[in-house]
Amino acid sequence: MLKLADYARVINKCSHCGYCQAACPVYLEDLLESHVARARLNLINAALIEKTIPVTPRVKEIINRCLLCTNCTRTCSSKVPCDEIITAARIELSKEAGAVDSLKKFVMRKVLNQRGLAGVLSKAGAVAQKINITSMEMPTLAAVPFDRQVSGTIEPRGERRARVAYFVGCGTNFLFPDTGNAVVKVLAYNGVEVVIPSGIVCCGIPALAEGDLESAQESVRINIEILAGLDVDAIVTDCTSCGMAFKTKVSKVFPDDDPMQEKIKPVSDKFWEATDFLAHLGLVAQPGELKGRYTYHEPCHRGWSPTVDDAPRRLLASIPGAELTEMEEPGRCCGAAGTFYLEHRELAEKIRSHKLKDIRETGAEKVVTQCPVCRFYLEIQLKDQKVVHPLGYLAGAYGL
Amino acid sequence: MKGLSRDLGQILDRNRVLTDPEDLLAYTNDATHYFKRSMPDAVVLPNTTEEVSRVMEYASKHRIPVTPRGAGSGLSGACTPVHGGIVMDMKRMNRILEIDERNMTAAVEAGVVLSRFHRTVEKMGLFYPPDPQSMSVCTLGGNVATRAGGPRGVKYGTTGNYVLGLEIVLPDGTVINSGGKFVKQTVGYDITRLMTGSEGTLGVITRINLRLIALPPEQKTIVVSCESPEQAAEIVSEIIARGTVPSMLEYLGQAAVGLMNSIISPPLTVDAGAYLLIEVDGTRTQVDYDTEVITNLCREMQPRAVRVIEDEKEAASYWKARSNLYPLLMTLMERVITEDLTVPRNMLPQMVRMVQEVSAATGVGIGMGGHAGDGNIHPTILQFQTSPELDEKSQIAIAELLKKGLELGGTISGEHGIGIHKSEYVAWELGEAQIELMKRIKKAFDPLNIMNPGKIWPEGGE
Ligand SMILES: Cc1cc2nc3c(=O)[nH]c(=O)nc-3n(C[C@H](O)[C@H](O)[C@H](O)COP(=O)(O)OP(=O)(O)OC[C@H]3O[C@@H](n4cnc5c(N)ncnc54)[C@H](O)[C@@H]3O)c2cc1C
Ligand code: SF4
Ligand code: SF4
Repeated sequence: MLKLADYARVINKCSHCGYCQAACPVYLEDLLESHVARARLNLINAALIEKTIPVTPRVKEIINRCLLCTNCTRTCSSKVPCDEIITAARIELSKEAGAVDSLKKFVMRKVLNQRGLAGVLSKAGAVAQKINITSMEMPTLAAVPFDRQVSGTIEPRGERRARVAYFVGCGTNFLFPDTGNAVVKVLAYNGVEVVIPSGIVCCGIPALAEGDLESAQESVRINIEILAGLDVDAIVTDCTSCGMAFKTKVSKVFPDDDPMQEKIKPVSDKFWEATDFLAHLGLVAQPGELKGRYTYHEPCHRGWSPTVDDAPRRLLASIPGAELTEMEEPGRCCGAAGTFYLEHRELAEKIRSHKLKDIRETGAEKVVTQCPVCRFYLEIQLKDQKVVHPLGYLAGAYGL
Repeated sequence: MKGLSRDLGQILDRNRVLTDPEDLLAYTNDATHYFKRSMPDAVVLPNTTEEVSRVMEYASKHRIPVTPRGAGSGLSGACTPVHGGIVMDMKRMNRILEIDERNMTAAVEAGVVLSRFHRTVEKMGLFYPPDPQSMSVCTLGGNVATRAGGPRGVKYGTTGNYVLGLEIVLPDGTVINSGGKFVKQTVGYDITRLMTGSEGTLGVITRINLRLIALPPEQKTIVVSCESPEQAAEIVSEIIARGTVPSMLEYLGQAAVGLMNSIISPPLTVDAGAYLLIEVDGTRTQVDYDTEVITNLCREMQPRAVRVIEDEKEAASYWKARSNLYPLLMTLMERVITEDLTVPRNMLPQMVRMVQEVSAATGVGIGMGGHAGDGNIHPTILQFQTSPELDEKSQIAIAELLKKGLELGGTISGEHGIGIHKSEYVAWELGEAQIELMKRIKKAFDPLNIMNPGKIWPEGGE
């Protein structure tokens, strides 16, 4: 479970090699060693576990100035789950009275955990005002969210090869219903029956990032109850962060001996990112020609499947005329990280600037990426390139 | 220290002076997780030589210790600020100033990260061989200050063989330039060489002129599964004796390969007593020829298996795993102490036997893995659990290893340096007269003993 005290031993597994310096987008901008995982772990240990130094505003600042991008964890050969420890530290900090902003808590509970369009619109506006941001940086909500557009079961074309549940994340539901439509169509077109369970809420990642364990537990409970009852071969999501949540995080919001664990395990085992799932299943329908050059941005939350980073490349390689031009560092973070970019605006923009440069240098017309937050955060700065989900791109080639 | 933060804030801008304990905590040690840590009083992040010089001038005036720091990836505690004072973090001086293709030289600031430098020159068809395995993070300044080496040392030598010139800030703030862009020089004492490996005890390196060579177009990786550690060592000695020079020649114990398998793809069968990981490089013809010579030679000695890895991605996974060996060990251990004993290469079989004997006699687990081609296979103390008794036994084992290694004609440190890790053994290797000479040199550079005091000699070189 994400209880900080339980990580004391794991923190000592850090070899202090310092290799995380090469991976941390925050450190690479700030060039302060106190902002790199090796030091964050030391600090968390001193301030929150051994309590040899007081919990000062600077301690909190260091713990919060982290994208939870998992780059350190993926780099760490000592296998220290750095991002998880930072999350646990935030949960610990949130125990202090008034630590998690009550408005944020309200958004987590009432908006992300209960999907109602009216609620989203009004609350998103309130958040925007409260943190004083321009409309430019706030995503425009889709006129009709995906769950109002498509529901129920979508029959496969031809012989049924698999039956999957489609877990629709908040990003796709509220911002990019086009991704949802593409996922459903491409899967069905390739012989996959798609069930869209109703009543699904947020995966819990945004709440965890705020250190709001209770909200995360609430959403996990709601989702797992629904998903555990489905008779499907797999559960797919188009979002790498939702996938990471179900594969590696949701079991950790409850104690190991919690009865929920029994229900979580089979759900977790069935989770796939949609592109990855399809690349493994194989396409039955040959895509048509779609001339153009694209580049692929690998979302940071990719460590939960060894093949999820390469799946879009493999699938799109089957489109005649579509040409992949790799950018300099496809795996480099874009800086968005949920709502991080709102609260660390200058830093996030610096991190993004490298990505934008790399993208522009490819000369590609389209950027492909699975994460809706990356998509939004890149697209608002890209005038000449469109950002799409890989299955959105594929849907285009199918003429769907 | 009263007023320190204010004074330093007048030399550099205020946000490049750290004095909050939450920040200082990040600068208390290097990659030696097992050593005592020390808090500095302040950390400065200079952007220019001028700023370094002014900080040194100030520190001299007030007799404040200064410890230069690169990435803090050292394995000897050399950048731990044992007497507090100022840590000079060089990582913001990270410009590659010049790559002179016609002259085959480069000029860099000391904080440039090695792997970035590698990528930059390799894109131009040039090659900077030194490859300490921490290359994704370590700085060129740190490499010069420790005279770092790596697997490619067997063919191409170590950092020391590539440094042509330095810009140095002396402890009193004076800036001097030693060497230059030329490839040879005989004008007085070789200060460049002296600074190389000085572990931050003589001055701060701010700029470096480096020699480059042409990038070999082809590489090939070979894995040899050996019957025993002794056999692996014998094969290494034989390869060296026959005059074929691989570009890398690494020794790996069975346990090491077991751990590396989480990165090696597809994984290697863990059934051999020890492994050799070899790379040859050069033109196609050269690579094919060397591959044949080495594989034939290995087969003559009848190891379990010799395999040439044709797939580039697979080969890369071996070398990536190799560079992660130290952090990988921590998944099994509570504590890992890497020793740096290096022997003449014909003595490797004796060394391997000796390490096993010391391990058996002291009851301390000692693994081996590293740059065999260099005679440097890093006997490594492995503690599954920590305890005061085991610590004591480990100290005895380390002393034994070093003493016996010296008897084999070796040195107690091939590349990591002394720092605080091995200062008590320096006298065994150098003898009193040589240490006295070194201390006089130290005094000539640093009469006030403010440059990284407490390193190399137990009493800090006063
Ligand atoms: C996993 C791992 C693998 C490693 N593998 C190797 C290897 O294969 N070969 C090898 O040789 N080493 C290896 N090392 C050790 C280490 O990375 C090297 O010693 C490296 O050169 C240190 O560079 P750094 O920038 O981290 O320096 P630091 O650790 O920060 O400092 C090292 C010393 O250099 C001094 N120093 C740093 N910068 C300057 C400067 N600008 N001017 C003056 N003095 C300075 C410091 O005061 C200190 O004494 C490894 C370390 C790790 C953690
Ligand atoms: S990479 Fe892992 S083991 Fe190495 S310093 Fe970072 S957290 Fe520690
Ligand atoms: S999660 Fe990302 S931002 Fe946070 S410490 Fe790790 S690498 Fe840095």
